[in-house]
Amino acid sequence: MLKVRLIPSLLLLNGRCVKGVRFADFRDVGHPITAARVYDAQGADELLFLDITASVENRSTLFEVMARAAEECFMPLTAGGGVRSLGDIRTLLRCGADKVSINTAAVERPAFIREAAETFGRQCIMLSIDCRRRADGRYEVVTRRGQDATGRDPLAWAQEAEAHGAGEILLTALDREGTRQGYDVELTRAVAKGVRVPVIAAGGAGSLQHLVDGVAAGGASAVSAASLFHFTDQSVIKAKAYMRNAGLDVRPS
Amino acid sequence: MLVTVIDYGVGNLRSVAKALEAAGAEVCVSAEAADLRRADRLVLPGVGAFAAGMANLLKTGLIDVLTREVREADKPLLAICLGMQLLARESEEDGWHAGLGWLPARVVEFDTRASGLKVPHMGWNEIVPRPGLPFFVGLGSRPTFYFVHSYHLAPDDPRLTVATCDYGGVFPAAVWHANILATQFHPEKSQDNGLRLLRNFLAWSPAAC
Amino acid sequence: MPRASLPVYDHLRTCTQCLLPETQETLVFDGAGVCNVCRQIEYKQTQVDWAAKEREFVALIEQYRDRHDYDCIVPFSGGKDSTFTLYTLVAKYRVKPLVVRFDHGFLRPTVLENSTRTIKKLGVDVLHFRPNWRVVQKLMQESLRRKGDFCWHCHTGIFSYPMHIAVKFKIPLVIWGEPSAEYVSYYTYEQPEEVDEKRFNRFVNLGITAEDMHGMLDGTVTLRDLKPFTYPELRDLRALNFRSVCLGSFIPWDVRAQAELIRRELGWKEERVEGVPPQYGYEKIECAMQGVRDYLKFLKRGFGRTAHLVAIDLRNGRITPEEAVALIHRYDGQRPASLDVFLEYVGLSEAEFMDIALQHVIDPHVPEVSTIPRGEALWDQPLWDRS
Repeated sequence: MLKVRLIPSLLLLNGRCVKGVRFADFRDVGHPITAARVYDAQGADELLFLDITASVENRSTLFEVMARAAEECFMPLTAGGGVRSLGDIRTLLRCGADKVSINTAAVERPAFIREAAETFGRQCIMLSIDCRRRADGRYEVVTRRGQDATGRDPLAWAQEAEAHGAGEILLTALDREGTRQGYDVELTRAVAKGVRVPVIAAGGAGSLQHLVDGVAAGGASAVSAASLFHFTDQSVIKAKAYMRNAGLDVRPS
Repeated sequence: MLVTVIDYGVGNLRSVAKALEAAGAEVCVSAEAADLRRADRLVLPGVGAFAAGMANLLKTGLIDVLTREVREADKPLLAICLGMQLLARESEEDGWHAGLGWLPARVVEFDTRASGLKVPHMGWNEIVPRPGLPFFVGLGSRPTFYFVHSYHLAPDDPRLTVATCDYGGVFPAAVWHANILATQFHPEKSQDNGLRLLRNFLAWSPAAC
Repeated sequence: MPRASLPVYDHLRTCTQCLLPETQETLVFDGAGVCNVCRQIEYKQTQVDWAAKEREFVALIEQYRDRHDYDCIVPFSGGKDSTFTLYTLVAKYRVKPLVVRFDHGFLRPTVLENSTRTIKKLGVDVLHFRPNWRVVQKLMQESLRRKGDFCWHCHTGIFSYPMHIAVKFKIPLVIWGEPSAEYVSYYTYEQPEEVDEKRFNRFVNLGITAEDMHGMLDGTVTLRDLKPFTYPELRDLRALNFRSVCLGSFIPWDVRAQAELIRRELGWKEERVEGVPPQYGYEKIECAMQGVRDYLKFLKRGFGRTAHLVAIDLRNGRITPEEAVALIHRYDGQRPASLDVFLEYVGLSEAEFMDIALQHVIDPHVPEVSTIPRGEALWDQPLWDRS
């Protein structure tokens, strides 16, 4: 049957991999291409590259990283970060990305999702949704890496995006991001149950049990992690062994 | 060995090319008839919607040379994902559309109403290859490959299928018809298993089968 | 094989056969509760045509014999595995090797003595490389922080440096000793274990490359400083038509028989190691920091070197589960005296060290640190260089 996927994510800042907490306090965690090689050698199921370099001029780094990664890693690669136009998507796909993740641009203009899905196919379009929990306990979608609150409900937005043609949802609990306190399982479950497309849980994985929880309790089709691999001695291989021992159907490393 | 990857504007051509190189081929990515003619083998990749893919393929003007090279000159062809589907007679994706009709099969949607499974079928899944075939040498009994699709082939004759996969029901993961090997999964995205399958394709002699 | 029903660890599931706990890096249990490493060893013992493998090895050697200044490179630490490998290649297969030794900085007196005797008796050329200690200190600190494992320089140096020599001296064949399939499951005995960059990235370098280190150390070491720890470019190795293999992929590895052979033929001497029962005096004698390394493993994963050693004996039917458990309880889980030396090397207090270690605990282990006894110092600890 279809395996649960483990997807390491790599945040790129000015050509280096970085990791922080809630998109702040970044530390250098490596070179993107050698990191991709390592994940490939360890049998990661896919890789997710997110470029958080602010300026438009530095976008070429992401293109270069994707091109080089595609040369060596024969597994699905997703690229995202500041994708605003069909041209951006086209360039990334040409460079070697299989999927492109869009976030803020889609919230600002949902028709962009439809245009992208119709031009490139829905399986190429991953909708990334960043969420925060409000003081009143409800979740809302946020954009620009947490700077802008939209007041929108994540499940409603996910369903709308799916209707527009998004092929997959990357769901990040921003409050948890980098904290290694675990995914927001409640949020994940709410969205995963409400859409037909696969949902990738992201934000907060700090232990191997969290990965299991994301799938078993959260209903995610895939789990993504970064801090877990950068700041602890747990590797993709260990993670998959743990997940298998917990009864999840994962591809062996 | 020269392999031409047919560029009809869809698919991750770069990955397909690099994977074929890693498998030992010299690769040309092209929409030029001459490059199809001079190749030893051909690859028809593809990702995305059937109608758009078919329209793009027709726009290249390559159908004639492709037909000559594959159907008359018996050049080995590997068709991947949408590429596989375009070889079918017809597809029900977004209405009814005609394919090339080289494979006696239709393309139908996954029906996941009963199973409640996610659509598209996206991720790594096991295939069960028919034993003894050259395409699957060195892959073990249930190798995993990467799939991403919402529609799949429905052959007229089950003997067309050389590997099955199960996603809420069994469907063809790979089919073989004369000098055509077609896979629903993406060998260029399936790490070691994919590279092995590509190597097997490059070593394959259709005449010997 | 008798199944162990004795509890070995609280809260940790163990293999019913070898007693290794689930926190070992690659362990997956099957329906019978037996781990994948045990299954690999069963495969090794019953499914491999070793006669055919040896023929393959002879053919491999002949392919490279007499074509270059040396027939092959043998990476050498002076431990039992590399000593056995070197002995076998010279005495049995009559190969002219270049012995390449990457000196991690912690070689102990007995292993140095053993090595001198070995290389003189066998008659071989030896290249001995010792990396910059100041760089090594920085690497140990950073690797400890990032992974709870300070041995990054050693893992990467041991596996990269001989490959650089292969390229520089144009010696395409590199022959290692024990395949990792003997004790972990990054590779099995069903597939060839090529000792290449993929293996390097899969587990040797702890997931950190030299290029990663360079950025993480933020300009305090240069790429040149990191060269000995950087895997050579694939194109340079391909240009050589290189092969990098384990002797243990071609002959069945048997540590006890091999230790006995080198004792007999080379006068190879055993040595005590912290936290290891005396009857395993052939194991891991080459590194003064072995005790600290094993201690970190114990803190993070709940088991130590003894558990690893008895697992091997259990798989080979050389010890009963009761004896194994008794040894584990007696020898694993001591705070090594050598930790004092290590802390000096990396400039950390013990509290800081513990703090770092506990950030890297592997699920589902929950360390109990209040009751860890202190171990006795090794006889040579006062001799270790403290400059």
